[in-house]
Amino acid sequence: MKVVEINDVYKTYRDTEVEVRAINGVTLSFEKGDFAVIVGPSGSGKTTLLNLIGGLDQPTGGEIIVAGHHLSELRPSELIDFRMEHVGFVFQSYNLIPVLTAAENVGFIMNLQKWPKEKRKARTDELLESVGLADRHNSRPSQLSGGQQQRVAVARALAPRPEFILADEPTANLDSKSAETLLDIMEKLNQEENMTFIFSTHDARVMKRARRVITLEDGRIISDERTNHNS
Amino acid sequence: MKDYQLAWRNLWRNKRRTLITAASVFFAVFFALVMRSFQLGTYNKMYRDVIESYSGYLQLQNTDYLDEPNIDNGFVVDQDITGMIESDPNVTTVIPRLEAFALAAVGSRTQGVMVIGMDPDKEDKGFNIRNRMVKYKLTPDAVESLKAENLPGRTGKLLDVFLNESFTDEAGLTSILGIDRSDTMKVLPLFRKYASFRNACLAASDTGFAVIGSGLSEYLHAGVGDTIVLMGQGYHGTSAAGLYVVKGVVIMPQPEIDNRFVYLTLDDARYLYDAPGMATSAIISITETGDKELHNTQERLTRVCGDGLVIRNWKEMNALLLNQMEADNKSGAIMIGILYLVIAFGVFGTVLMMMAERRREFGMLVSIGMQKSKLAKVVSLEMLLIGLLGVVAGVAASLPIVFYGYAKPLRFTGELARMYEDYGFEPVMPMLLPDTYYLWQVVIVLLILSIAIAFSIRKVFKLNIINALRA
Repeated sequence: MKVVEINDVYKTYRDTEVEVRAINGVTLSFEKGDFAVIVGPSGSGKTTLLNLIGGLDQPTGGEIIVAGHHLSELRPSELIDFRMEHVGFVFQSYNLIPVLTAAENVGFIMNLQKWPKEKRKARTDELLESVGLADRHNSRPSQLSGGQQQRVAVARALAPRPEFILADEPTANLDSKSAETLLDIMEKLNQEENMTFIFSTHDARVMKRARRVITLEDGRIISDERTNHNS
Repeated sequence: MKDYQLAWRNLWRNKRRTLITAASVFFAVFFALVMRSFQLGTYNKMYRDVIESYSGYLQLQNTDYLDEPNIDNGFVVDQDITGMIESDPNVTTVIPRLEAFALAAVGSRTQGVMVIGMDPDKEDKGFNIRNRMVKYKLTPDAVESLKAENLPGRTGKLLDVFLNESFTDEAGLTSILGIDRSDTMKVLPLFRKYASFRNACLAASDTGFAVIGSGLSEYLHAGVGDTIVLMGQGYHGTSAAGLYVVKGVVIMPQPEIDNRFVYLTLDDARYLYDAPGMATSAIISITETGDKELHNTQERLTRVCGDGLVIRNWKEMNALLLNQMEADNKSGAIMIGILYLVIAFGVFGTVLMMMAERRREFGMLVSIGMQKSKLAKVVSLEMLLIGLLGVVAGVAASLPIVFYGYAKPLRFTGELARMYEDYGFEPVMPMLLPDTYYLWQVVIVLLILSIAIAFSIRKVFKLNIINALRA
C-alpha cells in the first residue's frame, strides 16, 4: 500500500537574482513498512524533499499525495492538522520541549489531539517502555543524554500512530553506541509495528540498516535501490 | 496539559529574565501607585480643607460676587428663599455669611484679615469651628514642664520639634508626638496639666467677641482675653471700626486662611460693616456631595434662588485652585507616563529576546501539529502572567503603605514645614485610599502587555517553519 506518492515534483528557491532548483522533477513513492534512507551530498535536496513530504513546505510544481491527501490543496491550518494526524517527525537536534518531562513530551501530540487522559497515559507508558526509557518518565530533557532525548523524540513521533516517520539526520548528534541503540529501536518498531521510516542521512550506520536507499544529487534521484539488510 | 500550565512552565525556563521583567512591572506599578496616592491624597485634602473650612459645597451669592467679592456685592437675606432652599431633600441647612476684609491690630502689630460673620448656632453644621478650637498648645513653659516629667519614648525629643504648635484634640497630639498607646494613661494627664489651652467658641448671644486663627494669634501676639482692633470699609463706603475681645483660637486647615481668620457673630459683623440683614454669601450645607448629586442639587436650587442671585458650586468658586491642581496633576501623569514608557521598553525587550531564542522551538511545535493560534495563545498567556505577577505584587506591596499613609499622614516639620506654609499649604501629605487610580495602573500595564502580546502574536503567525527549524 502506498503511503506517499510524489509525482514530478519541483522545488525552486529564488535567492535575490539567482534561482536555485532544490528538487528537480522527482517522482517517487513509499510503501507501508518501508525503512528507507535518502542520501546524497550536502545541498542535494534531501532535507527539502523530506520537508515537502512532511507538508512543511510546498512544491513549486508537481504533486504530493500522502495518505490520500493532496498536500497542495490543503490550507496552512489544515496542513498543521494533517501533520499532527499523519506524520511523525524526528529532528537532528531532538527538539524536545525543555519544560516538559519525557512522559509529557511523548504525550504532547496526543494532548493536542485531545486523547482521554487514561488512554494517553497507557500509550506513553507503552512507548517509553519500547524505547527503553520506562524509568525516565519524569526526567526533563536536560536530565537525559543525547541518545535518550532522541529516543524520547522517536516515542513522541510514534505516539499518535502516524502513517510514517520522517527523520532528518536523526543520528548526526549521537555517539556510536547511542546511534546503534536508536537504530535498533527504530528497526524493531518497523518490523513489529510495520511503521514506515523515511530518513535523510549522511550516516553510514543508518544506510547499512536501510532496506531502501534513494540517492539524490542536484535535486534529482540518481538511484533507488532496495537492499537485503534485515536483522 | 492545559495551555496556562505550559505557559507557566515556560515562564520559569529563564527564571532570572522573568523575575527581572516582573520586577520592572512591579516597581513601576508600586511607585506609580504610591506617587499617585500621595498626589491625589494631597489634592483631596486641599479640596476638602477649602470646602469644609471656607467655601462649602454650594453657595447662594449675588451674581456679581464671584468676579468682585466685596461687601457691596452682597444681598439681603430673604427668609422665603432660604426656606425654599432648605426644603430641598439634599439640603440640611443654609448658613448666611458676611465676609469682608479689615485691618486687624494688637499693640503695634497689624495684619490684613478676613472677617467672617456667621451665626454661631449654625456654624457647626457648615464649618465645625467648634472642633477646630485649640485644646493644647506647646508653649515654651509647657514644654519645659513636660520635659521635666521625663516622657517615655520619643515624645520627649519631639517636644522641641513641635514647640509653639497647637493641637485641636488628643488623637492628633498622640499621633504627632508619637505617644505610645500604652503610655496614654500616663502621658495625657501631663499634657492636660501643662499644655491645656483655655478658650471657647462664640455663642449666639455674644457681642464684642472674636475667634481668631492660630496663625493670626501667633502673628499678632494676641491670646485669649486680648483685644483686637478691626478697621475697614463697610457697606457702600461707610467706615467700619470695632474692638473685639479674643474668646478663642482656632486651627483652620489651610494656613492661608488660618493666618487671616477672624470669626464674629453674624450680628456683630453686620453691625461692624453697617450691613443690616445682609450676607455676602449663604453656605448651603448638603448631605450627598458626589459630583452628580451636587450638580442636580445646584440645578434644582438655581430654579428657586430668584433674580440677581445664583447658586455656585465649590469648583466654580475655587477655579484657580482647581487649575493649579490640574496642572500639577498633569505633570504627575507625565512623570508616570515616562516611568511606564521605560517599563514598556523593558517588556518589549523581553518579548524580542524570547521570540528570538525560541524560534526553532516554535518551528518544531508547529511542525508536529500545534496550530499557530494555540501557540500564540500560550505565548500571550506567558506575557500576561509576567505582567500580572508584577501588577499583583505591586498592588499588594503598595496597599499597606497607602493605608498607613492614609491613617497617619506624613507630617513635615522644621524648614520643610515652613516652606509648605509659605506656599499656603498645611505641611501634611496624606495618601488617598485605593480608588479608580488603582484600576488605571492595571489598565496601563495591560495596555503595555497588549502591545507586547500583539507583537508576539504577529511574529507567531508570520513564522516560516523551514526558516525557524534552521534557526
